[in-house]
Amino acid sequence: MTHKKSITFVSRSAPYGTHNAQLCLDMALACAVFEQEVNYVFLDDGVYQLKREQRADAIKRKTLGNALETLSLYGIENIMVDGASMQSRALQVADLVLPVTLVDRADISALLQASDVVFNL
Amino acid sequence: MSCLHTINLSPRFAQLDSCSSLLLPGDAVLFIEDGTYYCSAPHKIPASMSGVELYALQEDMIARGTEATCVKEVTLANYYKFVELSCEFDKVISWF
Repeated sequence: MTHKKSITFVSRSAPYGTHNAQLCLDMALACAVFEQEVNYVFLDDGVYQLKREQRADAIKRKTLGNALETLSLYGIENIMVDGASMQSRALQVADLVLPVTLVDRADISALLQASDVVFNL
Repeated sequence: MSCLHTINLSPRFAQLDSCSSLLLPGDAVLFIEDGTYYCSAPHKIPASMSGVELYALQEDMIARGTEATCVKEVTLANYYKFVELSCEFDKVISWF
């Protein structure tokens, strides 16, 4: 029996208004350290976390966009960004800090279905 | 008795829908924190608000990487301007 689980994080919050975005990232990195299979989904306001040119020092916070680059360093390669959330916020792939592939809701549903555990914040 | 209305949540929470229906001539709206996302993309602010002064907190837009895409009908205001506006209006009403 294997202890490896498929764990999916759905990050739906903007980067600085609440701590949800940072918490979600911290949990995912912790799971990756314990060699779990981690998937990361940016949905709704979560896509704002990926916006280029963030400078959170203006509000005395750490810039979250930079921290997202650590996902791949921790071996989290399955990153999904919801295309409809991007479109309704007038964002393009070129506006983002990571080279990502946009997915549709059916792809996200399938991932949620296939995951052992889903964290949604 | 004009009012300054502040909005600190993103358009997902639709606070502006309630606020905009209660605005009177002479009022102003200041977008702060995640509320500044109303100003980073076109068509998020209803056209019916064109008679009201609109401000967005500049520091919050810089932090979120959205300052360069601020829509033209909104004036950027720094923290000092925030204080000035708070004093200038009779009341501050927070939508949260």
